[in-house]
Amino acid sequence: MSQKARKRYWKSLKERAGAGARESREAEVDVAMSRRSFLKAVGFSLSAATLSACSRSRVFKAAPHLVASEGVVPGRAAWYASTCGGCSAGCGALVKVRDGRPIKLEGSPAHPISRGGLCAVGQASILELYDSRRLKSALWGGNPASWSDVDARILAALKGVKTRGSSVRVLTGTVTSPSLEHAIARFLAGFSDGKHVVYDALSTSAILEAHSRTHGERSLPRYRFEEADVIVGIDADFLGTWISPVEYSAGWRSGRTLEGTPPRMSYHVQYEARMSLTGANADRRVLLAPGFEALLAEHLANEVAARAGAPAPFGASAPCPVDARQLKDLAGRLWASRGRSFVVCGTNNLAAQLAVNQVNHLLGSYRRTLDLQKPSFQRRGDDSTLRKLFDEISGGKVGALVIHGCNPAAELPAAGASWQEALGRVGLVVATSSHLDETSRLAAAVVPDHHYLESWADAQPAAGVAAVVQPVLRPLGDTRSALESFALWTGKPQSALDMVRGTWRASMHARQSSEASFDDFWNRTVQDGFAALAVGGRAVRPFDGGAVRSASRASAGPPGTGLALVLYPKVGMLEGRHAQNPWLQEMPDPVSKVVWDNYASLSPETARSLGVEQGDLVRLSTDAESLELPAFLQPGQKDGTVCAALGYGRDGTERFFDVGPDWISGKPTVPHGGRVGRNVSRFLSFVDGQLSCTTWSVRLEKTGGTQALACTQDYHSLKVPERLAEHPGETRDIVRETTLAEYAADASSGNPSEPSALATLWPTSSGKTGRRWGMTVDLSACTGCSSCVIACQAENNIPVVGKDEVARRRDMHWMRIDRYYADIEAGIEAVHQPMLCQQCGHASCETVCPVAATVGGEEGLNQQVYNRCVGTRYCANNCPYKVRRFNWFEYRRADAQENMVLNPDVTIRSRGVMEKCSFCIQRIQEAKIEAKRLGVPLGTEDILTACQQSCPTQAIVFGDLNDAKSRVAARMKDPRRYRVLEEIGVEPAIGYLTKVSNRRV
Amino acid sequence: MTSTERWIEGGKTPAHVTRDIMRPLEGGVGLPWWAAFCAALTLLGAGAAAVAYTLTKGIGTWGLNRTVGWAFDITNFVFWIGIGHAGTLISAILFLFRQKWRTSVNRSAEAMTLFAVMCAGIFPLIHMGRPWLAFWVLPYPNTRGPLWLNFNSPLLWDVFAISTYFIISLVFWYLGLIPDLATMRDRASGLRRRIFSALSLGWDGSTRTWLHYESVYLLLAGLATPLVVSVHTIVSFDFATSVIPGWHTTIFPPYFVAGAIFSGMSMVLTLMILARKLARLEDYITVKHIDAMCKLVLTTSLMVGTAYATEFFVAWYSGNPYERFVFLNRALGPMAWAYWIMVVCNVVLPQILWWPNVRRNMAAVFGLSLLVNVGMWFERFVIIVTSLHRDYLPSSWASYRPTIIEVATLAGSFGLFFTCFLLFCRFLPMIAIAEVKGVLVPEEIV
Repeated sequence: MSQKARKRYWKSLKERAGAGARESREAEVDVAMSRRSFLKAVGFSLSAATLSACSRSRVFKAAPHLVASEGVVPGRAAWYASTCGGCSAGCGALVKVRDGRPIKLEGSPAHPISRGGLCAVGQASILELYDSRRLKSALWGGNPASWSDVDARILAALKGVKTRGSSVRVLTGTVTSPSLEHAIARFLAGFSDGKHVVYDALSTSAILEAHSRTHGERSLPRYRFEEADVIVGIDADFLGTWISPVEYSAGWRSGRTLEGTPPRMSYHVQYEARMSLTGANADRRVLLAPGFEALLAEHLANEVAARAGAPAPFGASAPCPVDARQLKDLAGRLWASRGRSFVVCGTNNLAAQLAVNQVNHLLGSYRRTLDLQKPSFQRRGDDSTLRKLFDEISGGKVGALVIHGCNPAAELPAAGASWQEALGRVGLVVATSSHLDETSRLAAAVVPDHHYLESWADAQPAAGVAAVVQPVLRPLGDTRSALESFALWTGKPQSALDMVRGTWRASMHARQSSEASFDDFWNRTVQDGFAALAVGGRAVRPFDGGAVRSASRASAGPPGTGLALVLYPKVGMLEGRHAQNPWLQEMPDPVSKVVWDNYASLSPETARSLGVEQGDLVRLSTDAESLELPAFLQPGQKDGTVCAALGYGRDGTERFFDVGPDWISGKPTVPHGGRVGRNVSRFLSFVDGQLSCTTWSVRLEKTGGTQALACTQDYHSLKVPERLAEHPGETRDIVRETTLAEYAADASSGNPSEPSALATLWPTSSGKTGRRWGMTVDLSACTGCSSCVIACQAENNIPVVGKDEVARRRDMHWMRIDRYYADIEAGIEAVHQPMLCQQCGHASCETVCPVAATVGGEEGLNQQVYNRCVGTRYCANNCPYKVRRFNWFEYRRADAQENMVLNPDVTIRSRGVMEKCSFCIQRIQEAKIEAKRLGVPLGTEDILTACQQSCPTQAIVFGDLNDAKSRVAARMKDPRRYRVLEEIGVEPAIGYLTKVSNRRV
Repeated sequence: MTSTERWIEGGKTPAHVTRDIMRPLEGGVGLPWWAAFCAALTLLGAGAAAVAYTLTKGIGTWGLNRTVGWAFDITNFVFWIGIGHAGTLISAILFLFRQKWRTSVNRSAEAMTLFAVMCAGIFPLIHMGRPWLAFWVLPYPNTRGPLWLNFNSPLLWDVFAISTYFIISLVFWYLGLIPDLATMRDRASGLRRRIFSALSLGWDGSTRTWLHYESVYLLLAGLATPLVVSVHTIVSFDFATSVIPGWHTTIFPPYFVAGAIFSGMSMVLTLMILARKLARLEDYITVKHIDAMCKLVLTTSLMVGTAYATEFFVAWYSGNPYERFVFLNRALGPMAWAYWIMVVCNVVLPQILWWPNVRRNMAAVFGLSLLVNVGMWFERFVIIVTSLHRDYLPSSWASYRPTIIEVATLAGSFGLFFTCFLLFCRFLPMIAIAEVKGVLVPEEIV
């Protein structure tokens, strides 16, 4: 049945119940059949069958390949090393290709940036490859046009620009690809006034600017979190969204492994206004009002200088915005670990960044923990040139503007009165967007770029790290690599592969010594995905303190009063380029647990003082702008601030109108024609030439309306509600914690020994030999980043159910991250706990299923047999961990192209069937088959579950518990190991390791 | 009770008995019956539409979620099974105890049992995600090799317990009907006569027949007696054998049985008070009958009340924090309103039955019987939903709110019940004619 015939709009219930309501394949009973109508039907079908048999229908021939494609074995996955294009961080990715279709992205274990992990955004970006709404051809004036036609028009327009001598601008996000950079440079070289303007919607321009002033080089240092013993984060969400979260999470984790004596564990303090993922993981989290970052950094610099015996770099200024004694203590810690400590600041404010550089200089961080010799290229955006471009555009000075890899009309405040008006002043606007989005709608020509999995490209995320991006399938649409587009417009058409190889031959090959021949070098690089290159011994200019002092000083306070609006990126949504990705829209925010929306988040106290409750629609307004958002109460947020996530309200998200099931009380995920969330980027502004995320003196008023938010977690603490508690402060023993000091004294601290020898009526499974699959989750390592959630979704074909279903508590994720808050003296603390099927030895779900659809396997797995399940839900009721997921409806899988992302090894579950984590049984089977084929014993350490593979901090270890040599067995013997709800006696196979932190020291 | 105790009023002769009881069957029915029948059919229609919608779209049309996997469905199931308890109690246990007052109510009570079990049986069927595969819960020879039923599952025990109960109740009811069917045969002509003739299985009223009949009836009563206890015991195992605090409770079997008798008796009271009024059977279902049943209701109410108190005591005494929490959460948590409806309706209000005047006041008893069933429905709702909605991991705590489809399905089950019951009143004698004749006091026979 075609998609059109399937969809039926109805105006009344009567009409709906009438003809056409029968879409279900199985539950159909046709009752209106009389004898006469039966005979009629028989007569008709007989004649129809006879008549149709008279014609000769078209014969479709299926023939096997005469010569099979090399390396393609049906049913066996091929893996290709590439570079993730989800953001500009440039993590290494391995692409799993089954029968010619890429179906999964995983972290590349040896990659120097990501070190094996891959974040949720990266994992989900594979779904965008199969997005059926990607542009399939070039557009001119909004209408499909042939490439030759569009190119001819563009070239003609460019020729005109050239002859007029007006300026040409290429506006991009950070370009880490050296080839693309060369291509753009070559393209611009043909014009008298050609410039490449780079911006980042999540700008770090002030960091680069500060380094250009203090170190004479506009570069972003490489932050070596693994080397740091004391980490001070000021408004930098480096575990969640800041610059390169996978790299930083892995580094942060390496500094907290508890290895050695005394156990290694960095001390991490976070100053921030909103509750970020990084703050939730910090050892100490201190609330800092927005606008005080520079002042704090100056005070810290003075304190550190006092310890260093240096003169105070900053003169008398306003009083310290945080507790001065604590700041002194922190300065003491930083100084004690000098050389192995640093301060990072995410605020895009020059004064703050200069002060931070001053602190880092005093601490000697630039020697070891902050690498300027081999800087990072992950962010190159320059807000001052962007600002200049805005002026040029409004001045009508730009003859041609090529926009690549960004969506300024959605991400930035308008360059003039509006983007439409501004771009109207540009002679020719060309966009390479793959969708018809806010920017490409305004462009004369849209020349859609390939998805990064369809094209050759390269990346240089940091000095000395060069990587290739290789195509893993033929482009699905009639799109063209931006590399080729630029080459063609330069007048030297060349294939992307040749261009990349050309760049590498010219500038990469010579910087390594292992392969003399370029082809060998290239082949190895393509196989590995990256190459480590020598970095020329560049001398970094010594720190220039004068630059700091001469720069504008932090003012005593914020430039405004009243409510401060802070715009921030959400994990998963970032600046919004993935807004059309349903996996990411439905991924619960790691902190708020809200899906499918952005919101005005307020601290509970501020909300109370404003009379606002969760879900109230509030209007945020400044003199220039006004916007309505639903309110969300976020514990742990600074009073007097309101935070809203960027990246929402995007064009194209109207498509999610029908993402969820359609039924009598079902509500659409977005109103018809509406968008997911609201775009708040118009509140971004330029402050001292830098894009600022903070707006002061915002008015907030209730509109009287409400908008429900869908949240996967209702209750947010392990503390039993006060009036239901037996004793005040009764807390559930689900997450076990200890401090570093206690851990050093006693490794089993915080982990009371298990109740030994609980009486049981069941035959004990502990004596079983053979394999017993198990897992450990290190709560000290888990940051809650939710990369495992998306990894699991991609691996196990988990459906997207839409906002209304999540609001009804019917989220389908097999892996969920439970987040609990705890009140401490200084505010709020949070812990994250991954929760998935515990594969119990005495599974309570197994005994209650009447049809034995869930059974204990030979190797300890609790197996769910989908085609046997009749859907009583008894198993889910009887699961103490509530990890079972029921298919309440037949979830939408109408998009045939999107279905190509499905893992063929995992069944699609139909309506009415229970499902849950299987410990990636398909991966276990694959490894077994491979071992059998090769005639070798099964290496249980080689099996990685999807969640384990992608984890940036390697919190998850999977393996055979009965194999004494396995890592998982060793971790099971760790004194930190405990099992959640051990006392019920279900014998879970997942051990959690207590969370050890420097909290409460 | 002596054999001369008078249970039937109005100095009836056996001829009167036959005439009075056969009146609605032969004389047609009045407007109240039609009104009630139309109302019942409407409800049934709404319920059928709701079930059809559920079958077409999926269980998602109910208000359930990943935390609360059962709510209205299993609540209704246990509720109806409970209603179905009075029938067997009256027909079997009271028969064995020679309680003569049962003769006036046993037929209706047994019919009520059958219809209630039918209503109950629908819910385990439709609550399945894939009800078209429901036959997989039956142990029939199949081609699936070693794939067989899971005999550990209480849900499977339910299948056996309920089907056994239904079959025995049906046979018992039908057996009791045979002498009356023969009476109807003798009074009818034409097609009706042929039908009743077939249904009465050649009953000839001879002493020999009566002798065989009485012994079979006694034997069946003996067989049915354990079922009164077993069915609800096994239904309670659905919860008692689980690991969920609030479900995992050893007191459940006696507690459920007492509750079932409590609700079943109340439903009998509701129906009998209506029937005696509408079918003018006040002489047969007398205030004394109502009084006797009220005493049973009061007794079981006290048992249920004791069970509620015991649960709290055991939760406290166990020292299990999860267990304690569940009970505090029931009484004080977000769904406390349901708990207190249950306590008031099931424990507090029935205490008025200590007063004989109340037991003989039809309006009061009628109102109370309705409230008791409201309370007993909420008892099952409280057990199922409040235990599930906040169990071990606070991250999964959720709430529950029924959808219109679930409400319509519940209404539909009442529609089915009353449709069946009204048809029964119209086509079969509501009171066991032969048995009532047996309890007429000899002096009254002229």
